[in-house]
Amino acid sequence: MKITSAELLRQPGGCILRLSTDNGLTGTAIGSAAAGAQAMRLAKSLLTGADPRGVVGLWQQTSQAARSGRGRSRIRAAALLDLALWDLKARSNGEPLWRTLGGARPRAHAYASSADRFRDDDELSIWFRRMVSEHGFGAGKLLVSGDGRADLRRLARMSAALSLATPYPMLTIDAGQRWSATQAIRRLRAMERRYDLTWIEGISGGRDARGLKRVSDSIAGAVCIGAGFSGIADFLPHLRQRSADVVQIDIGAVGITAAMQIADAAYGLELPVTLAAATGNIHAQVAGVMPNCMSVEIVDPDPPAWLQSDVRVAGGRATAGDAPGNGLRLVRS
Amino acid sequence: MKITGFRAETYLMKMDRLVGDANLPSGVEMLPGSILYLDTDEGLTGISLGYGGAAVEGLFGVIEGADPRETVALWIRMNDFLHKAGNEGAACAALSAIDMALWDLKAKIAGEPLWRTLGAKQGRVKAYASGLDYCLSDEELYAFYRRMAKLGIRDGKLKVGLDLKADLRRLGIMRDALSIASPKPGLMIDSNEYWSPKQAVRYIRQLERRFKLLWVEEPARRWDYHGLQQVSRQVGAKVASGENLHTLRDVYPLIANRAVEVLNVWTGQSGVTGLRQIAHMARVHGIEVSMMNAQANYMAQVAAALPNHNMMEVVDPGREHCLRWDNRIEDGHIVLGDAPGFGIEVDKAKLRALQANPPTGSGKFPFPRREGAGLYIVPPAPGEVPWAGGKEV
Repeated sequence: MKITSAELLRQPGGCILRLSTDNGLTGTAIGSAAAGAQAMRLAKSLLTGADPRGVVGLWQQTSQAARSGRGRSRIRAAALLDLALWDLKARSNGEPLWRTLGGARPRAHAYASSADRFRDDDELSIWFRRMVSEHGFGAGKLLVSGDGRADLRRLARMSAALSLATPYPMLTIDAGQRWSATQAIRRLRAMERRYDLTWIEGISGGRDARGLKRVSDSIAGAVCIGAGFSGIADFLPHLRQRSADVVQIDIGAVGITAAMQIADAAYGLELPVTLAAATGNIHAQVAGVMPNCMSVEIVDPDPPAWLQSDVRVAGGRATAGDAPGNGLRLVRS
Repeated sequence: MKITGFRAETYLMKMDRLVGDANLPSGVEMLPGSILYLDTDEGLTGISLGYGGAAVEGLFGVIEGADPRETVALWIRMNDFLHKAGNEGAACAALSAIDMALWDLKAKIAGEPLWRTLGAKQGRVKAYASGLDYCLSDEELYAFYRRMAKLGIRDGKLKVGLDLKADLRRLGIMRDALSIASPKPGLMIDSNEYWSPKQAVRYIRQLERRFKLLWVEEPARRWDYHGLQQVSRQVGAKVASGENLHTLRDVYPLIANRAVEVLNVWTGQSGVTGLRQIAHMARVHGIEVSMMNAQANYMAQVAAALPNHNMMEVVDPGREHCLRWDNRIEDGHIVLGDAPGFGIEVDKAKLRALQANPPTGSGKFPFPRREGAGLYIVPPAPGEVPWAGGKEV
C-alpha cells in the first residue's frame, strides 16, 4: 500500500487533511489551517509513495523535518499527518483505531470543559446543567477570568450543576496563563478553602517548571501541565523536575505516536494523563491504550455540523464504536 | 475473534558452542527452551518463545474469551490482576509470554509481520555481534567476530571483568576481526555486574587508555542508580543496563537519575507492551535502547518499531533446533521478512524428538553470581577458561 496524494479542504477555523492510497483508502485528520498548509508540504516531500502502515517510522521522519524548521505549526503539521496515518493504518486493517492501537472498546472518563464561550454566569450554568442532564457529566473545567470574586462565583455555578450528577464533582481550573506561580498559590489557596480542586492548569505559561513545582508543593490540588505544548521536548523539564502532577496531552498538537510516548513516560513516574479536547472527540479512541489515562476533555459532545464521529458521550464517559479508522466521516454539503 | 486456550511446551537444547561471562567464565552449552501457544476460535494461533512456565495457568483466566487484538488493554488487565503480589518473578514471565503471543496473534490477524503492526517503517534493524565469549579461546574469539564481520556487522561486545591484561588482548582480537567490516569498529564491554562501581571506574579507565569504548554494560548492580551514575560520570563510554529489570517501575530510577545512556530491552520486560513502555519513557528522556539477543532474532520485530533503538545484539550460538524463521542478516542488519506475526514457526517433529531424547552437555542455566563479585576479583583458575595461564596479574 502506498500513499498517492494529499489533499487539503478548508473549513471554518481549520482544515481537513486527507491522505489517499493506491488501494482506494483515505485517511483523515482535522487541524488548524496553518498546520494544514505545512502538512501538505511535508506530505509531498516525505509521504508520497510511503506505506502508511509504517506510521511510527514515518512520524520519526516528519517530526524530525518539522523540528528542523521554525514555528509551532510545523510540529502541529507532523501531528496532523500522524493522525491521518493512524486513521489509514486502522482502515487498512478494517478495524476501529482503538483496536489497531491495541485497546479494548474505550469508555474514557470525560469532563466538560467550558472554555471561554459564555457571555455570563447564566449561560455557563445552563451549559453545565445541559452537560449533566444530557451526557451525565460529573466533572468540569472552568477557565478563570482574572477577577477573583467572579471566578469564585462561576466555580460555585459549575460545582452546583455537576453536583446534580454526583456528590463529588471533579472540579478543575484553567488559569489561562493569567497567574504567575506566586499569584497562583495565593488564589488557589483561597479557592481551596471552599472547593476541592482536582487540578489546575495554565499557570505561568506552563514553562516555569521550578515555579510549578512550588505551586504543587503549596496546594492540595494537582498541577496539570501540557496544554499548548507542542512536542516531547516541552514535557521533559516537568517530568525531570516533577513539577507536573497530571500530564495533559493534546493529540492534535503532538500526534498519536508522540502522545503514546509521552503517556508512557508519565506512566513510569506514576503520573496520570488527561487528553485535551479533539475534534469529533477522537481522543477517546486513544485513551484505551494509556494505562494511566484519567480523563478526556469534552468541549462539545457532538461533532460540528460538517462532521460525523463514532464517539458518543453518555453517562460521563466517551465511548467509541466499531466504525473503521478514527471513525470520522465528512458530511457532504 | 476469541482466545480459547493455551498450550505450553518445554524442551532442552544443546547449543553449537559454550557461552560464558564473568560470573560463569567456563560457560554453558545447555539451554532450556519453552514455547507458549495461544489458541483462538478462528484457528489462528499465537506463539511466544523462551519462557513462561507454570504461572501462565494462573493468568490465563484473565484473558480467556477476550479478543486477542486488544493487546494493550489485556496487558493492563493482567497487570491489574497481579496488583497485590506484583508483576514480578514467575508472574512477570507469564505475563510477558502471554503478551508476546497476543501481539503475534494481532499481527497474524492483520496478515502482516509484527514490525508492521507496531508501525515500523521497515523491517530492518542494525545488528551488533556479541560473543558471550569469556569461555572462548583467542582463536575461537577471532573466528566468531570475523564470521560476524563477514555479515557486515561492524560493532562487537566483549565479556570482560576478571583479568585486565587478558581483556585488553581480547579487545584487540575483537577489533581486528571486525576491521574488515569497518575501519573503526564500535567496541563494547559487558561485566555482568561483577564489579563495584569504583572497581568499574578503575578497570574501565585502564581499558580506555588503549580503546575507545562505545558502551559498558552492567558495570554496577542493576538497581544501583547511584553507582551506575557514578560510573557514567567518570568514564568516557556510555553506561548500559536494564536487562535484568523487568518492568517500567524497576527501570524508572535509572531513567529519572540519569544513571544510564543505553537501556537494554527485551520481551521479558513485561512483554512487547512492557518493553515498549520502557523504550518510550527512555526516548522522552533522550536515552537510547538496545534489544537483547533472542532465538532466531525474533525480537528484531519489536526493535524495528522503537524510535530510539540503536542496534540489536546478535549471538547466534545455535538454538533454533525446532524453529523456522523469516529473517536474515544482510549488510550488518537483521532484515525481517513478510511472514505474519513474529515470523516464527515450530517444527513439531523436531520438538518431539528433542523432548523424547533430551541432549546432554556441560553447564546449565541460570548463571550464578561468581565469588568476589562487587568485592574483589577472582581471576579464572588454570583450566577454567582456555585463555587462563593461571598466573595472577
